[in-house]
Amino acid sequence: MRLVSLSLYIERVELSPVLTLSNTEKTFGALPVVAPTSFSVERGSFVSIVGPSGCGKSTLFNMIAGLESPSGGSIELNGGDISGRTGHVGYMLQKDLLAPWRSVLGNITMGAHLTRGVTREDEERGAALARQYGLGEFLAHYPNALSGGMRQRVALMRTLMTDHELLLLDEPFGALDAQTRFEMQRWLLDVWHSTQRTVLFVTHDVDEAIFLSDRILVMSERPGRIVLDLTIDLPRPRRTAMLTDAAFMGAKRAILSLLHHELGE
Amino acid sequence: MKHRFVRFIAAGGMALVATVTAIAPSASASSSLTKVRFAYDFPWPDMELIPVIVAQKEGFFKDHGLKVSIVFPPTTSTTVQMLATKDTEVAMLSTSDLVVAVKAKVPVVSIANYSMKNNWGLFAMPGSKLSLATLKGKKVFSWGDTWTTAMLPFVLKKAGLTAKDITVVNGEADTPLLKSGKVDFVTNTTNYAIPGIGGKPVQIVGKAAGVPAVPVWVYATGSSYAKKHGKTVSAFMAAMKDATQWSIDNQGKAVRYFDKAFPQSGYTHVYNVQAWKLTVPLLKNKSGDFFVQTKTQWSTLAQAMVDVKQIDKAEKPSAYFTNKFLP
Amino acid sequence: MRFRRNLLGSFLSFVVVVGVWQAIITFGHVAPYVAPTPLDAWRSIVENWSHLWPLTLTTVKETVFGFGAGAALGMGLGVLLSKRRFVQRVIYPILILSQAIPIIALAPPLVLVLGFGLTPKIVIVAWIVFFPVTVSVLDGLANVDRDLLMLARAYGASPWRTFLAIEVPSASSSLFSGLKIGATYAVTGAIIGELAASSGSSLAMFQHAQSAQLDAAGVYGTTLIMTAVGMGWFGLVALVEFFTTPWKRRSIARRAGRHI
Repeated sequence: MRLVSLSLYIERVELSPVLTLSNTEKTFGALPVVAPTSFSVERGSFVSIVGPSGCGKSTLFNMIAGLESPSGGSIELNGGDISGRTGHVGYMLQKDLLAPWRSVLGNITMGAHLTRGVTREDEERGAALARQYGLGEFLAHYPNALSGGMRQRVALMRTLMTDHELLLLDEPFGALDAQTRFEMQRWLLDVWHSTQRTVLFVTHDVDEAIFLSDRILVMSERPGRIVLDLTIDLPRPRRTAMLTDAAFMGAKRAILSLLHHELGE
Repeated sequence: MKHRFVRFIAAGGMALVATVTAIAPSASASSSLTKVRFAYDFPWPDMELIPVIVAQKEGFFKDHGLKVSIVFPPTTSTTVQMLATKDTEVAMLSTSDLVVAVKAKVPVVSIANYSMKNNWGLFAMPGSKLSLATLKGKKVFSWGDTWTTAMLPFVLKKAGLTAKDITVVNGEADTPLLKSGKVDFVTNTTNYAIPGIGGKPVQIVGKAAGVPAVPVWVYATGSSYAKKHGKTVSAFMAAMKDATQWSIDNQGKAVRYFDKAFPQSGYTHVYNVQAWKLTVPLLKNKSGDFFVQTKTQWSTLAQAMVDVKQIDKAEKPSAYFTNKFLP
Repeated sequence: MRFRRNLLGSFLSFVVVVGVWQAIITFGHVAPYVAPTPLDAWRSIVENWSHLWPLTLTTVKETVFGFGAGAALGMGLGVLLSKRRFVQRVIYPILILSQAIPIIALAPPLVLVLGFGLTPKIVIVAWIVFFPVTVSVLDGLANVDRDLLMLARAYGASPWRTFLAIEVPSASSSLFSGLKIGATYAVTGAIIGELAASSGSSLAMFQHAQSAQLDAAGVYGTTLIMTAVGMGWFGLVALVEFFTTPWKRRSIARRAGRHI
């Protein structure tokens, strides 16, 4: 598979990268899951990864999170190698994974609870964060009393609380209905914008990826590799009207044709 | 108060609805025979059943127009209730169980003595130096039944002790506790204890134990059944007389019948032979008669049970027994 | 609110049981030496209270130690077995074997070894109690959300902290089910132990004597006491569960966090 270059592919000004993967690969036994892959993620950017099911996106994420060690290559965070080491990035999945026995605030401070014990400062910070992003009234609620969208907000607050510069979000809105999903996307952009984090986002939804991202990496079928690195040239803040913008449509066409090609159509 | 190698008892009185195990007699009897259910006093078979088994196998019941099946109660105290609830027609009981039944107004009556003597007492391991004089402070096993409860105070009285001077151990198995030294004495009748312990156990029995000379076991029936089916009851006793005599005359064969009827009784043939041999001399009174009850035996026992506060007052002897069904 | 509704439910079921009992005796014309009326059974408890009370305390003591030991052993084994797969493969068949032995057959030999005191009863109660607890802990720990464990790992949590913060609360529902089963069994174990052998007296032997005396009211009364001990244990476990798992019955915690 060759790297497809398109007119929309525009070299951005090179900022200092937060994350750098160099020839990172993963094989399970004799089965290659992620082919040697290299890319960087610039500080403060919002980068999405799209690709067919089973293309190795989650394995890639697990390697960056340190849950799995790469079979080859390196993963550097701010210049330090983090291969096989956990606790350096924020990590959030499609399942909100809230602990039903902890309140919203308890879940937001889960990271501290799991690593060193929750302090008063943790709770005050968590409460402030929750208030800032619309969860202020629900601090004492148990997760079971919350809607799916609210639960994902809590999960994201929990991820933010870990203070990691890089957030890995693995299809966080995949289980939500269209309306909630749309609200959450804008909310996420709001949070991202005001907290100055770097986001690496996995999704199946091409519209979502374009709407949210500065840059989209398209992966091939297994063994996964990056077949397109696409910069989205839409101004921020993003607005709903942009969904029908020519630049939006062009990006969508480029990604979909590649995905369909990957699926053998 | 019997010896058991293995003895489980389903928890207490909860099993008031009797789970009965009926064992049909092997001889196929014609339908003209009167069906009679005989309840044993114990949940498991042992050699005191020999006369009934013999009556089944040798055709004594059939000769008297009966077809008798044996029923085992779920617990020792259920037998009386089975008579009252008409789940069985005749039964074997301890004499003290019958006195308690009359006190509880259960409509039952004793129709014959099974054995004639009081062969109950305390037993210790062969060769031990234990005696009535050294009873103080010892551990004594009791089944916790009415008989043992009635008799133990007589032993204490004879020894000049009170209940506080000994430790009574209640439980489900006696000989293992004795052999392992967990108790000093077990309480039982000679015909069960001696073959169970083996050798020549130290015995404090009958007069030596200070207990009244009253029979231990009787045959009984429900009062209303006795009234309505007197002939059947008489026929039962007539058959039992023949069968008991036969069991005395043919001890070896009689024990074999039992072994064959209950191969899984938990008893060895050797045990059964010795136990039955020890039972035979108990079956007749001084005049050589089977079964005959006396007013004195019932008034003595009832008074004894009043003395140890098991019952409030003794009824007149006729409330407990009748000899009118004897052959 | 829910608690009060549960209490009302318990009271109603009590009324139903007593009512059915009374109806069976009245309409079935059951003789008093076969089965008593609820009132007679109650009266017998009152009359025998001076005997029953110390015996009940003994039985309670047996279940306290037995249940405590059994629950602790059960939880310990459950955790050990779930954490060490090899140990599980070796020990689990032995555990099943231990429960396949009818406890009623085990009681007499245990008494031979341990005597007539408290010890054999405690062993029997613990023997009965530990198994459902072990199985429930094993089940509970096996069913902890794998993704949640992975998340904990991604956060860099130590195994010990993960165990306390994720696995224990996740397994708590299952654990309490096991404890409740064990709690209702505890009194059965104690009574079996008492039946096998006791020096002096015990609730089981007192009932045995009442049974021998054809005192049906006494037998039922003593059975009610035994039942009350069993239900007391169940109630206690349910109460502990009630107060330690507020998220099951409330939508809002009393406090948002530990500090605020």
